[in-house]
Amino acid sequence: MEHDMQEKTEQLVDHIMKKCLWQFNSRLWDREKQNENILGKTMQILCKEPVEISTSADKCYWAEAVTLVEAFQKRFLWINTMENSDIKILIKNLKERMDYLTIKGSLNAELTDTQY
Amino acid sequence: MPYHEFECSKCIPERKLHAVVKGPGEDVTDALPLGYLNTIPGSISERGCAYCGAKHVIGTPMKDVIHMSHGPVGCTYDTWQTKRYISDNDNFQLKYTYATDMKEKNIIFGAEPLLKKNIMEAFKAFPKIKRMTLYQTCASALIGDDINAVAQEVMEEMPEVDIFVCNSPGFGGPSQSGGHHKINIAWINQKVGTVEPKITSDYVINYVGEYNIQGDQEVMIDYFKRMGIQVLSTFTGNGSYDDLRAMDKAHLNVLECARSAEYICNELRVRYGTPRLDIDGFGFEPLSASLRKVALFFGIEDRAQAIIDEETAKWKPHLDWYKERLKGKKVCLWPGGSKLWHWANVIHEEMGVEVVSVYTKFGHQGDMEKGISRCEEGALAVDDPNELEALEMMLTLKPDVIFTGKRPGEVAKKIRVPYLNAHAYHNGPWKGYEGWVRFARDIYNAIYSPIHQLSMIDISKDEISTENGYQTQKMLSDVNLSSEITASDTLKEYTGKYDCLAEIRKREYPEFTTSAKAVNQ
Repeated sequence: MEHDMQEKTEQLVDHIMKKCLWQFNSRLWDREKQNENILGKTMQILCKEPVEISTSADKCYWAEAVTLVEAFQKRFLWINTMENSDIKILIKNLKERMDYLTIKGSLNAELTDTQY
Repeated sequence: MPYHEFECSKCIPERKLHAVVKGPGEDVTDALPLGYLNTIPGSISERGCAYCGAKHVIGTPMKDVIHMSHGPVGCTYDTWQTKRYISDNDNFQLKYTYATDMKEKNIIFGAEPLLKKNIMEAFKAFPKIKRMTLYQTCASALIGDDINAVAQEVMEEMPEVDIFVCNSPGFGGPSQSGGHHKINIAWINQKVGTVEPKITSDYVINYVGEYNIQGDQEVMIDYFKRMGIQVLSTFTGNGSYDDLRAMDKAHLNVLECARSAEYICNELRVRYGTPRLDIDGFGFEPLSASLRKVALFFGIEDRAQAIIDEETAKWKPHLDWYKERLKGKKVCLWPGGSKLWHWANVIHEEMGVEVVSVYTKFGHQGDMEKGISRCEEGALAVDDPNELEALEMMLTLKPDVIFTGKRPGEVAKKIRVPYLNAHAYHNGPWKGYEGWVRFARDIYNAIYSPIHQLSMIDISKDEISTENGYQTQKMLSDVNLSSEITASDTLKEYTGKYDCLAEIRKREYPEFTTSAKAVNQ
């Protein structure tokens, strides 16, 4: 089960890293916000929970999340039959992995450059 | 992900940290090339300067402007013409270039009077043009000419003109990227918020980091107009100076080349609260997702979907015709900055080619994170390569074609590797659905050109066959294809017009209902 979840997480990671751009904004704080908001809204859409879109920024995060969900549902058919509780674990794992790849484990020295 | 040491650069050990090979199961946290650093002494790289980055890449695609360089004439000549950023006003910004032509005596005695004289003369020579961008160069910066003061003096004497001053001399950064940053910040500091635009739609965007190479911008603007979106400004291809002064009034910044123009998007976000949405205009799937994202932001998904369905149905059979003939071909993706990540994955998925190497002349580590992530395993990723390293890569990787600039491209030709111009294109536009097919056709023609095949023969030693007197691309490309493919009714070779923009420029757009709020703005 754990192995299965890890494999599914890696499939989603691979999709984001190859198809999306939002995870690579050039500041560390910006990457944190992007990962938090876009993946947070992705989870809400997949679980059919209400999504906050009252501000322009929220609408932007939501537009990214909707296209991501559409791609996930088309490419990874298994996601369509998952329980909400499992989806929440999956997206939590996905966010942790994305945070590692783009923030905590990133070798990009520019992320914290104060002279930007 | 091991760092890669070039044989030719063993005498410059620092270079090793600028190249990596993407190994099996590895990612960008294992190794990442250094980037955006001063070129290492001993390595003659392929970079431009910060003046070039500011003027040639970002400033001069603006179409209704006199672009004046304050410096020796060579600076302006070397940043003129070659990028083919066309415009719909008869290419005014490409036809003419302006320099103060500083000489030794100006260096000794100062060149401010010379600058003022040139500005006045230029406005007099083109009386319909009332806007100017003014660029500092190394020479004028080092002698301390105050070009801001001269510009101000002219604007006081000629109140009908407006001048933008760009202080980005050639030495202002490790590469042209330093100039991109400087001109982004200078534009928002000096000009944004100084014009009140006419708002005609409920959906208003700035299209940012798009330079209208051979018409890319016009293709994308066509889609936005068909969706009822008002494109307030384009930063900067085919863009208008006064439209760009009103960037603060858009609802959304749609960002294409984040490498050269994320700075102004980030500033617009902080100063005016306008969000930034990064998109990919190249390739069917990324473009469709991009149009859909913009539409979702405004709640007009149906309009985007209609375009996606129509364009995909029309052009996909043509793309697939080329994909069948390009499958497995090895390509080196060696552009300046953003195209390495725009193309790295989609060219593999939609054209079937194998990207064996990516490099960037002026990209930052963030560009490498994107580019390496989008490559398949085994790709060699290099920051700021020198000519010998490029030669070594071509000889060892044996690519079927490379995509790069015209100078390294000419080097490639000498060792009989075909190249396509990644900066200015061959038969563009390459953005949009039809554009992506045109790119596929250019790749196909580069690889299978009979002339290229002839160039492989060394007449000093090879035997020249008299049997094969006549060959075409198709004879070469189809030799190993099945009859199912060669006789397919669904796959179609591209037969579009030489100028595919003419129809777009004549198109009439649907009128959508606009709210009273938008009309009264």
